Amino acid sequence: MQRVIPLPPYPGYPAMSPNALCFGDEFPAAGAPCIVQVEEHGLTVTFASDTADGQPESVPFSSLTVTAGGLDHDHLVVKWVNVQGERTLYLKNPDVIRAFRESVPDHLSLPFAQAAERVRQVRHRGRLVWGVVGGAILATVLGLWFGADLLVELAVSRIPVEWEHKLGESAYRDFLSHQEVMKDGPAVAALGEMTQRLTEQIPNNPYKFEVTVVKSDVVNAFALPGGYVVVFTGLMKKAESGEEVAGVLSHELNHVLQRHGLERIVKSLGLLTVVAIVLGDQQGLVGLMKQLGVELLTLKFGREQETEADLKGLQLLQRAKIDPSGMIRFFERLSEKDQGRMEWLSTHPMSTARAERLKAELAALPKKSPEPFTFDWKHVQASLGSQPVAAP
Amino acid sequence: MKSEILYPGAFPMVRVDLAAGEHIKAESGAMVACSPTIDIESKMEGGFLGALSRKFLTGEKFFFQTLRASRGPGEVLLAPTVPGEIVILELDGVSEYMVQKDGFLAGADAILIESKMQSLSRGLLGGEGFFILKISGKGMLVLNSFGAIHKIELKPDQEYIVDNSHLVAWSATTSYNIEKATSGWVSSFTSGEGFVCRFRGPGLVYIQSRNPGSFGAWIRQFIPVSE
Ligand SMILES: [Zn+2]
Repeated sequence: MQRVIPLPPYPGYPAMSPNALCFGDEFPAAGAPCIVQVEEHGLTVTFASDTADGQPESVPFSSLTVTAGGLDHDHLVVKWVNVQGERTLYLKNPDVIRAFRESVPDHLSLPFAQAAERVRQVRHRGRLVWGVVGGAILATVLGLWFGADLLVELAVSRIPVEWEHKLGESAYRDFLSHQEVMKDGPAVAALGEMTQRLTEQIPNNPYKFEVTVVKSDVVNAFALPGGYVVVFTGLMKKAESGEEVAGVLSHELNHVLQRHGLERIVKSLGLLTVVAIVLGDQQGLVGLMKQLGVELLTLKFGREQETEADLKGLQLLQRAKIDPSGMIRFFERLSEKDQGRMEWLSTHPMSTARAERLKAELAALPKKSPEPFTFDWKHVQASLGSQPVAAP
Repeated sequence: MKSEILYPGAFPMVRVDLAAGEHIKAESGAMVACSPTIDIESKMEGGFLGALSRKFLTGEKFFFQTLRASRGPGEVLLAPTVPGEIVILELDGVSEYMVQKDGFLAGADAILIESKMQSLSRGLLGGEGFFILKISGKGMLVLNSFGAIHKIELKPDQEYIVDNSHLVAWSATTSYNIEKATSGWVSSFTSGEGFVCRFRGPGLVYIQSRNPGSFGAWIRQFIPVSE
């Protein structure tokens, strides 16, 4: 038979529904729902279910500590110790909090005021946040009207190049600090030559490109906003000529020039951030992006961006008189099924169509006689400690 | 209102018995079958703007469905889209849960559902996006997961670390910080996910045994790339 515990009559307290959760060793982890009432000398806690010890517990104010807690610091957390151990109450009911505040004795008033202030601040911030959300909804509607891409472009065009530099640089330095960087040698010299040949052909280049060779068997290369490029030695070992590496480099440089990284960031941060940028909160964005450093590296570009980087990359190679067929050959080899695990493929899905498009584009460009690099590719590869790739 | 989980495990359904006049809210598309006494209404929870903001900011579907036993008692069968477990929680009127947007399957009508914005850094770095559902009120709440659901019980100040893409729901009495999972760059570089949530009790955290994002990536490798 179950014991029914009569709830004590409290005048002026009609609704006896739980208004707090109590935590302690013998309570379930979700907390025991309870009724908290504020009296002259302390709190009375009555458990709603008869599974707990049943008797209302009176706790004098003198034994309480008060803080703010919970997911958004919007709960009042009240702790005390009784014979069973530590008790923790999570209160959110505004009536109880008000009553508590009014009768709280002096020794608690300071922490209480601090806690209550946190609760109030969170609520206030909530209103602010909803203001921003309102703006975002407005922008969404506008975005649907004019096309979301336009909104993204608008936002991206408002980010100055210096910020892009700062942004990319912090992620880049952070990345390199965990890597084995190749400082000199034939591979670094070869990439330097490629970079110079390519960047010389970029009119009004706002970026000071920095290309670093990182010792790793990862077959990859990536570019960060602001012109920070990493090429892994694994990719150089896999390439059959300097022109192939130059093709990948030209592709990556064009991701930077076309600000693909920024577009991607703005897109993935969502409309809310777009709105913030358009409305002028650019300072906050830089802070957010700093936190985001890692994410910058995991960015995958969209197919349109890849195509753009391919085509612009090809044109840049052409202008720099670097044989563009190296880029095409490399893409073709990547699209063959038996390439195994190559990281560049994880961010650059290859297809024969991709190489075909480049071939068609190349055929449409005026013929230029390529000028070879000054380095010997086999020699460069040998310096990386790899076996020269055997001809099939 | 009575509910029962049928075929517990990877491919469960929930049967909810409704008395005449009773109704439940369900994720739109969750209804599998129902008695002819049940009316299906699409309702915009939180008004038009609320629904609009959910739609565009969380990618959540525009509507919840209301399934109402308007012509006499009846039953409703509900199922989630993804394979995975279902749990039924009974909300007591005081406890509040934050639910990742794909975790909500259905709830009694007295359950309140709000879209809640997370702090910017949580929204950016956590896998759940800027918006999550905040669920309060009294009555039945049905959650679904991708894979099995595992409940973590946290005592006051007890901590636990969870990969953010495995989160399903957590008590509002918990708090959490987002942290970088590893110091190894290449791992986050190649696997994508690099963040975890450090939860602090008291309260419950429900997690799912499979990561939807990783599963998607795994599936993708079998899909031929086409232009
Ligand atoms: Zn690319």
